[in-house]
Amino acid sequence: MPAFLSIVVPLYNEEECVDKLITAIHQALAQEQLDYEIILVDDGSTDNTWPIIAEQKKNDPRLKGIKFRGNYGQTSAMVAGFNQAEGEIIVTLDGDLQNDPADIPALLAKIEEGYDIVSGWRKDRQDHFSRVLPSRVANAIISLSTGVHLHDYGCSLKAYRAECVRSLQAYGEMHRFFPALANMTGARTTELPVKHYPRKFGTSKYGFDRILKVFSDIFAINLIIRFSTTPLKGFALFALPFFLLTLGFGSLAALAIVFQWTSGKALFFFLATALTGMAVVHLTVLGILGELVVATSDLSHSALPEVTKKKLTMTRK
Amino acid sequence: MRYSAIILLEEKNLDLPEFIDMLSSVLTSRTPSFEIIIMANGLGGAGLQNQSDISAHGETVKIFTLNRNVSAAACLLAGLKESSGDIIIVCGSYQQITADSFSTMLDAMDDQTDIISPWRQNRVDPFLNQLQSRLFNALTRKITGFTLHDLNCNVKIFRRIVLEETELYGNMYRFLPILAARKGFRTKEIPCDHMQERGRTGFFGMRSYASRLIDILTLYFNTGFTKKPLRFFSSFGVLFFLAGLGLLGYVVTQKFLLGLPIGGRPVVLLAILFMVLGVQAASFGLLGEIIAFTHGRNRKEYAIETII
Repeated sequence: MPAFLSIVVPLYNEEECVDKLITAIHQALAQEQLDYEIILVDDGSTDNTWPIIAEQKKNDPRLKGIKFRGNYGQTSAMVAGFNQAEGEIIVTLDGDLQNDPADIPALLAKIEEGYDIVSGWRKDRQDHFSRVLPSRVANAIISLSTGVHLHDYGCSLKAYRAECVRSLQAYGEMHRFFPALANMTGARTTELPVKHYPRKFGTSKYGFDRILKVFSDIFAINLIIRFSTTPLKGFALFALPFFLLTLGFGSLAALAIVFQWTSGKALFFFLATALTGMAVVHLTVLGILGELVVATSDLSHSALPEVTKKKLTMTRK
Repeated sequence: MRYSAIILLEEKNLDLPEFIDMLSSVLTSRTPSFEIIIMANGLGGAGLQNQSDISAHGETVKIFTLNRNVSAAACLLAGLKESSGDIIIVCGSYQQITADSFSTMLDAMDDQTDIISPWRQNRVDPFLNQLQSRLFNALTRKITGFTLHDLNCNVKIFRRIVLEETELYGNMYRFLPILAARKGFRTKEIPCDHMQERGRTGFFGMRSYASRLIDILTLYFNTGFTKKPLRFFSSFGVLFFLAGLGLLGYVVTQKFLLGLPIGGRPVVLLAILFMVLGVQAASFGLLGEIIAFTHGRNRKEYAIETII
């Protein structure tokens, strides 16, 4: 069965790069003799990105374009691309030529070997030290906490078997975590060193608050992966320190009564016990609420797709 | 069909026929292709006794009655289903702005706009009412960042697709232009001449204030998940918790190193308070994520304009 490839690229104000990008992709895939489509997603650009896409589309039947009403972020752009994609394999990459399309065939080869997700690894990162360091820290944290060990979660160049990502719920900046999320369904992930080029055109659109957002996302991703199907466990985890504190303060309160410490101290310890005890009850109740939410959803039926292992052969034409 | 005017009839109104006459004449002067749809919401049906005056308009005017009282949002969406125009004029059942202003608003709808929102000038209602209105709008501007000055005016004009794509429910009717603008639709604000104002004068009750404030709060948090204030909520929660833990650790260290007592020190209660607040905030963040993950599965976080 011929495998059809979809290449999804989110674009935000990349008018200088668009045509070079399209040419580079065609060049990279010329030798493969594979059926493919290129889906460019305009994420609310304010420059000429969309007119250029529309213009290129006229002469290029393999090109598809999606225009967003506003700026929704890379993840949403990718998800929109996934929903339009017809291919059995989907490749995502950056729209600013920091990824080299020439690396795509190597990714495809890995998929053919049987992996479900192949993540690019920018071994020789061409960015400034101040960007690389927080990246390394984030990668370590994500790898350790989710159990999916990748050296470079932030690389946009990734290849997926389409069914792995078709029904992933994601938004904001969560596209970095697709491998970790897909792991919930048993997808096999591997990584491959890829080339990295520094930004040739335009300015970087990232700031410091992006770091805060990424860490915020890491926290949320971990919560989702661990507790979205058993929330009570999550809330129990939150409640644990308070439970210990309640025991501690409770004992001190008991001692205060038995040994008749000053009434001020006794009152104090009662108060502390009451506060921490209240937190335990509160969290437990929230956990039960969470269970109710999960129980009334159709998570068990529709949830995450089964990743069927089938050998993918790309027939060369 | 070019224009559909949807009138939300909430209560008995004797001026309805005149209003319809005015609307009809303004629209006829532009195009014969229009319809006027009256959605009688619950009690509003009582105001249709003077139906003979209305029926003179014939097929242009359609009347629908909802069999129970629903929110303005639901009423509008029900009316949308019955309509077929490309441009939808939503209005209350009495004439708040002059006929000329109506015309100006209709003129303003061009290819570069999706929503026309009026801004009443030269207001004729009591000063107290104006003041409260101004406060409400100013607060909404502050919280949402959109510069709309008059959300309470009962007339608005939308392209059909705006109403079809924007998620609307409950009390969010008032904020429809903001919800749509968030999705990427383009809004234009047009100064209009105020004609009359109906309704309460004086201070709106406490309940009203509380209700409006909560609506604005809902608006703030309901930005969809791409903006994620809920997410930051849980991050701050973690920070608070750690701060509390740190304080507690500080006190315990002092106990062992300096012999200072733990009991009776207000700092300990403060530390507990931080920890409790922190973990509560983080919990709500988690609960929010769970709800979004399980029940919001099909909710699209983006809005597509075109596909080629």
